[in-house]
Amino acid sequence: MSHALRMHDVRYRYPDAARPALDGVSLDVEQGELVLVLGESGSGKSTLLRAALGLVPSFHGGELAGRVVSEGLDTREHSPAQVARHVGLVFQDPESQLVMRRADHEVAFGLENLGCDPREILPRAEQALTAVAAGHLAERETGKLSGGEQQRVAIASVLAMGQSTLLLDEPTSQLDPIAAEELLALVTRINRDRGITVVLAEHRTSRIFAEADRVVVMEAGRIVFDGSPAEAAAHLAGSAPWLLPPVTQAFVAAHRPELPLTVRDARRLAAPAPPDRRELPAAATVVGLTSVTKRYGEIAALRGATTALRAGTVTALVGPNGAGKSTLARIATGLEPPDAGRIEGDGMRGYVSQNPAHHAVRERVDDEVAYALENLGVAAPERARRVAAELARFGLEELAGRHPRDLSSGERQRLAIASVTVMRPQLLVLDEPTRGMDGLRKLALAELVGRLAGDGCGVVVVTHDIDFAAEAAEAVTTMARGRVLADGCSVDLLAQGGFFACQVGLALGCATIAEAGALLREETERAGV
Amino acid sequence: MSPLPVGLLCAALLAGSVALSNPFAIAACAAAAGALLWASPPPRAMYVWFAATSALLVFLVNPFVSVQGLTPIWSGPQIPLLDTEITQEELVFGVAAGLRLIGSAMAVAAFVRLADGDRVLAALARVAPRSAMIAALASRLLPTLEQDATGLAMASRSRAAQLHRRRPAAALAAPLVGLSLERSLMLAEAMEARGYGGAARTHTPQPGLNSPERVLTAIGIITCAVVAAAIPLDDYRYYDLLGDPFTAVGLATAVLVGLAGAAGAVTVRWPRRAR
Repeated sequence: MSHALRMHDVRYRYPDAARPALDGVSLDVEQGELVLVLGESGSGKSTLLRAALGLVPSFHGGELAGRVVSEGLDTREHSPAQVARHVGLVFQDPESQLVMRRADHEVAFGLENLGCDPREILPRAEQALTAVAAGHLAERETGKLSGGEQQRVAIASVLAMGQSTLLLDEPTSQLDPIAAEELLALVTRINRDRGITVVLAEHRTSRIFAEADRVVVMEAGRIVFDGSPAEAAAHLAGSAPWLLPPVTQAFVAAHRPELPLTVRDARRLAAPAPPDRRELPAAATVVGLTSVTKRYGEIAALRGATTALRAGTVTALVGPNGAGKSTLARIATGLEPPDAGRIEGDGMRGYVSQNPAHHAVRERVDDEVAYALENLGVAAPERARRVAAELARFGLEELAGRHPRDLSSGERQRLAIASVTVMRPQLLVLDEPTRGMDGLRKLALAELVGRLAGDGCGVVVVTHDIDFAAEAAEAVTTMARGRVLADGCSVDLLAQGGFFACQVGLALGCATIAEAGALLREETERAGV
Repeated sequence: MSPLPVGLLCAALLAGSVALSNPFAIAACAAAAGALLWASPPPRAMYVWFAATSALLVFLVNPFVSVQGLTPIWSGPQIPLLDTEITQEELVFGVAAGLRLIGSAMAVAAFVRLADGDRVLAALARVAPRSAMIAALASRLLPTLEQDATGLAMASRSRAAQLHRRRPAAALAAPLVGLSLERSLMLAEAMEARGYGGAARTHTPQPGLNSPERVLTAIGIITCAVVAAAIPLDDYRYYDLLGDPFTAVGLATAVLVGLAGAAGAVTVRWPRRAR
């Protein structure tokens, strides 16, 4: 069988980088394979995909050694534009890859670049949009589409070009669970039905792990494992279980020898927990919202939302794209006024944007943390003391003199949170904090928000990541179409019922991996295995 | 809408605003451009705000930097570099200059809001591919820049920044520029990943003009002809003494341009109502 991609001993270093992003990578991908690339943030997954298209070093500069041959084209001898005739790359952020104003023109853009016959351009664009169930979006403005719709248009743009290899760099990181599942199902269908080779880098592995033909694990720019999903599960169980689907992690936590990769496999191996309705412990309300409405032009973002945000509790605010979660969060923190409705609560409130770069307005990390205190008029000695304490609390003290933009994504996220918590808010809202975050960093974030809640702060996490929500939050508020659908504890809403469910909830009726692991251990002990 | 009919009408209004001299004709150009902008899809407020504040500035500054006119209405103390003798002619000229600015800014704004950006880019790509890439980057960057500016402002307000004050707001300019540079790199990379800059490009066939666009083309051609005919005939003078603005050419131009603006606005709203 011929190869879609061949990499031989590839070493690559970005300009001015201290260490190589790819360090002796050798990888062969056969035509028609679906390869899942796993690894922590910064392990080299995105660079590997860029190297496959020739964007490194052609676009980014730096030094490349070794050989990359994509669809028979050596990237040292062919430009990315030439390789792009056969290999398509869909980036993580759909907003940053859309060039044209209208969706069908966006899809046509790539065909024009290929020099396609003008009479064929629009029909091919419409076919590609239809193939990804986005035909109805053809005349819509790309800037006004939801994240899921934008990502579909981006995939259609690549499909239309008739490329035989598709590279996807965390395409679901900004999608709600349903949109993410639909997208991954689409990718699987493209691979199975059309024989298109797919190389997919992804952190949310619950749906795609078992579907992959091969799983490649990267660490510090090297491929440390390459094998079937079952072999990968066995390998990762001992080294990096957080890269596995949550249901597999539960079996690893219970030290069970079987490692199911899907909900169905897990259900065959273990009985789910019995229904267990739990009440949230009593807690003071930090901010109460009653019948809040908000419109943006013709769009009703909130239509009478009512909820109470609790002190000393981590609350997950979940719902599909466009449900009104971020609007509710901004209104609760006083950043936007509602059109109507009542807001009660008058303590300090903090909001951490979904883009940590929005919290980087100073030249040094310690200045960044001090920014809010300066705005509040806190005296210099007190300010210095609180900044030092906050840096230590978030493990940033050694980075105090660095520029915020020079930090890694995880460090940037911690800095963004520290730059707000230094004000000691009674309510802290984190808007999509796990975007592009790997499993290990999510665990660290879950622990961090738990500590903040333990200190009495009401923490609200607005998220699409249901597995993270179940792991980090005790309370859950679900929203859809501008209304609050339910308030309750995470076990009730994310594990044993509700519209959204985490993977260990679907399989074992538990909200967290630890609970599921404990359940499986008990079952094992009962069975005397 | 197709760039051609919108471009014709806006170009006529822009040329009229700049080259006509009769104050009624200039005011008619500004009103017509304003009507066209009013009929275009939102956002419009920032364009109106920019045009109005710039025009007000020009009106206020002109009497103090101009030393012409024979009809003084106020004399102030002597200040170096400034003319503190205000004449009626300077004030009227200031009003006309402000109206010129409003007409020009709103004509450009109406084109930006009404013309299909993709078709403008496609037209540009035929004649200047490199410029088209820069224009594509710019046209995509503007909305993302707006989002980043909103995000930065919100994150700063969440950290108790008083952004209604000038200094804290100005401090966000540098990070915003940094973010926009990052964005432009990502977009340029995405364009290259889609084969931009490779083999000879082809172009998506553009659809023909629909009924409203044909009507607007006719309005645009007529307005261009009116303005082109009026420019050499319109010789209104502001200095040393104000001329008589009630000339046949000036009034006729004002009426025709005003009618063209109103007709253009109605035509622009027509397809949107139909949708």
